[in-house]
Amino acid sequence: MKENKPKVKVKLSAMAKREERIGLLFVAAPAVGFLLFMLWPIIFAVLTSLTTWNGAKGIQGMFDRFCGLDNYVTLFKDSKFWQTLVTTIIYLIGIPIGMALGLICAMGMNRKIPGVRVLRTMYYIPVISSLVAVSILWAWVYNYDYGLLNVIIKTLTGRHGPNWLGDEVLIKVSMIIFMVWKGLGSSIILYLAGLQNIPRSYYEAAMVDGANGWQKFRNITLPLLSPVTFYILVTTLIGGFQVFVEVQVMTPGGNGGIGYSAATIVFYLYQKAFESYQLGYASAIAVILAIIIFIITLINFVGQDKWVKTIE
Amino acid sequence: MKKKIIALLMATTFAATTLAGCGGGSSDGGDAADTSANTAETSATGETTESVGAQITVDASATENIAVEGDYSDADLTVFIYAQDHEKTVYQSLIDRFTESTGAKVTFEVTTADEYGQKLMAYKAAGDMPDIFYVGPDGLASNVDDGYLLPLDDYVPEETIADLWPAITSAYRYDGKESGSGSLYCLPKDLSTFAFAYNKTLFDECGVEYPDPENPYTWDEFVEVCQKLTIDKDGDGEIDQWGVSNALQWALDAFVYTNGGHFLNDDYTQVVIDGQQEFIDAFQFFADLTCKYHVTPTVEQDTALGGYQRWLDGQIGFYACGTWDVGAFMDENTFPYEWGLCAWPVGSTGVSMTRNGSVGFAISADTPSPEAAAALITLFSTDLEGQRVLSGETTGASLQIPNTMSYAKGDFKARIEDGTIPYGDNVDVIFNYIEGTDKYEGIFVETTYTYNADWWNEFLSGGYEYVLTGEKTAAEYCAEVQPAMQAALDNANAMKAAAQ
Repeated sequence: MKENKPKVKVKLSAMAKREERIGLLFVAAPAVGFLLFMLWPIIFAVLTSLTTWNGAKGIQGMFDRFCGLDNYVTLFKDSKFWQTLVTTIIYLIGIPIGMALGLICAMGMNRKIPGVRVLRTMYYIPVISSLVAVSILWAWVYNYDYGLLNVIIKTLTGRHGPNWLGDEVLIKVSMIIFMVWKGLGSSIILYLAGLQNIPRSYYEAAMVDGANGWQKFRNITLPLLSPVTFYILVTTLIGGFQVFVEVQVMTPGGNGGIGYSAATIVFYLYQKAFESYQLGYASAIAVILAIIIFIITLINFVGQDKWVKTIE
Repeated sequence: MKKKIIALLMATTFAATTLAGCGGGSSDGGDAADTSANTAETSATGETTESVGAQITVDASATENIAVEGDYSDADLTVFIYAQDHEKTVYQSLIDRFTESTGAKVTFEVTTADEYGQKLMAYKAAGDMPDIFYVGPDGLASNVDDGYLLPLDDYVPEETIADLWPAITSAYRYDGKESGSGSLYCLPKDLSTFAFAYNKTLFDECGVEYPDPENPYTWDEFVEVCQKLTIDKDGDGEIDQWGVSNALQWALDAFVYTNGGHFLNDDYTQVVIDGQQEFIDAFQFFADLTCKYHVTPTVEQDTALGGYQRWLDGQIGFYACGTWDVGAFMDENTFPYEWGLCAWPVGSTGVSMTRNGSVGFAISADTPSPEAAAALITLFSTDLEGQRVLSGETTGASLQIPNTMSYAKGDFKARIEDGTIPYGDNVDVIFNYIEGTDKYEGIFVETTYTYNADWWNEFLSGGYEYVLTGEKTAAEYCAEVQPAMQAALDNANAMKAAAQ
């Protein structure tokens, strides 16, 4: 039953009014920031995607070049778009690999062994290093003639190793290895934090019940880490769709690799926008990319009920 | 239900970050693209001089005795260009002279070549153009079509223009349809050419006669000389010195055009490489140097260590030499070898061809002070003291040839001959390419005349490496890649039509 309460307007004192105004100012800062730096660019990108704008003649120039959904029609017929999308998805293979390795390392470092802090720091170094710098580093690792990998291969087998960055398939493998290495530190840190949150008593209880190591891992560790796993999955999937710098730095001359084999969708977007000046077309790619990320994230969130457990 | 809504909200937020561009620092790659304003020249520069480059110091007093006539105290100019440090010093000192003698105010904004295109685009989008900025021959038509450039005809004296190389003034003329005629829109910052060089030390060691600039090699002769230079120097069973090293993205032109080949038809609407014998033969010969005659490093070796480093290390007999490379090649610490200039080998036309490059100073169409801006770019482009610094007379490291013919053919050449300006042998090769002779011709490549270079990028990203390894023939590759190139060209022409 609804009760109709008469609305009472409380008259605020002058001081309270002042406080209210100041409060509003505090709220205004993030609100304006959001409108200006998030909402407006989003609307702007969607509008741009409906034009053939090349950046000229300001906003007016953009509206003069309205072309409806032409960009999207072209996009779906664009073989480069599909090629880069597939490559981007192939790179995602690194995510489960990275998560599994991260978990293994985290469990290893969750023991009281001497020097564990040094180890933790070492694994985290790639995360805080400049992406450009470590990309250059890995380009050296993969170098055909004197790269670390091929030197090892030559020493062990006596044969010359493969051309890691000069082959359509191997370059993808190389990129995945690099990205797993780069992301390992952050998943280790997150898993470590998750592991340390699991109460010891659970394991003790399981021990009393006679559970073996695998059973403890399977029935306690894994389920109780699932919120962390979920978080890592969501963020790395989103990051995985936005790979750019790695391709730019590791392919010779930033050309996207032999036959464009290493190019990701954001790399393609960048080339369209800032080399060909097709801002409209690039925005259309961005919109499609955003929709893909939206759908995948939505699936993640909807699906989380099935496997993400919390300690409650 | 509530959870679903939260899920939806979260998903939206994550997706939205992609559009708002703050998702993963994805667009700050830095050393990304060559820009529309400087394709030919800087892409080649990026390939060659970036990693080394002679250390050049400029004495600001070198330009002290310049005075500019006129009172421009009302003028408030913004200059936006990209420049290396030594260039920046030169232009800054010219600006200082200019402001002192004319009373004008000048804001000088310098960026890097990599970021220039993006920043200029931001200016355009904001509708707030700098008064003076760089435009290359390839960006000329689109900038004029979009109404950004001021015609210079009424502001720069005839005799100033007459002293510039004809190759360069024609590249900056545009009549609304074609370049080469009509109003002049830029004064050159430089005019570069991409000549060929040879390592004299290696020639001596192998007992091979130096190339004769008067009689460029035919392709057969070239292969023969390269084969003599390709040897296993240390006797470990592996080749470690090669006749030549070329990167396709800047060297293929020199083979295609000399053979009468071309990428596009005359009005730049059709890609015509598929089935075009002149083009295919040239491309095949280019690839054969690697996969048939083995006188270049292999594709794998080339990805391991680029031709430029190998050339500097004395492993390569012939290598391209841009006018901007001379300073570095004459630096003992960078390149401790004797070297000379020569012609690219000639194909069926009998004329040695290479690409020229340039970037020029343009004035915004809506500048409130066109006279002052014109006076300043005239100073930048043609001032004798400034030219002396940039072309190496004052610094000892030549990075460009002078813009003014009177100085280039007079003092500049004399200073090379008397050794004041260190230069490789046969500087005439450079002059020949710029002026054109019966055996030499420098050209602006076809991307200069199309709305963007996408069709060329398609050629580069289609897997041409398989032709160099011999897994495909040039003819097969041309047939395969032409449709994608055509689609990109159609797209570019549609954009151009929309702009006009």
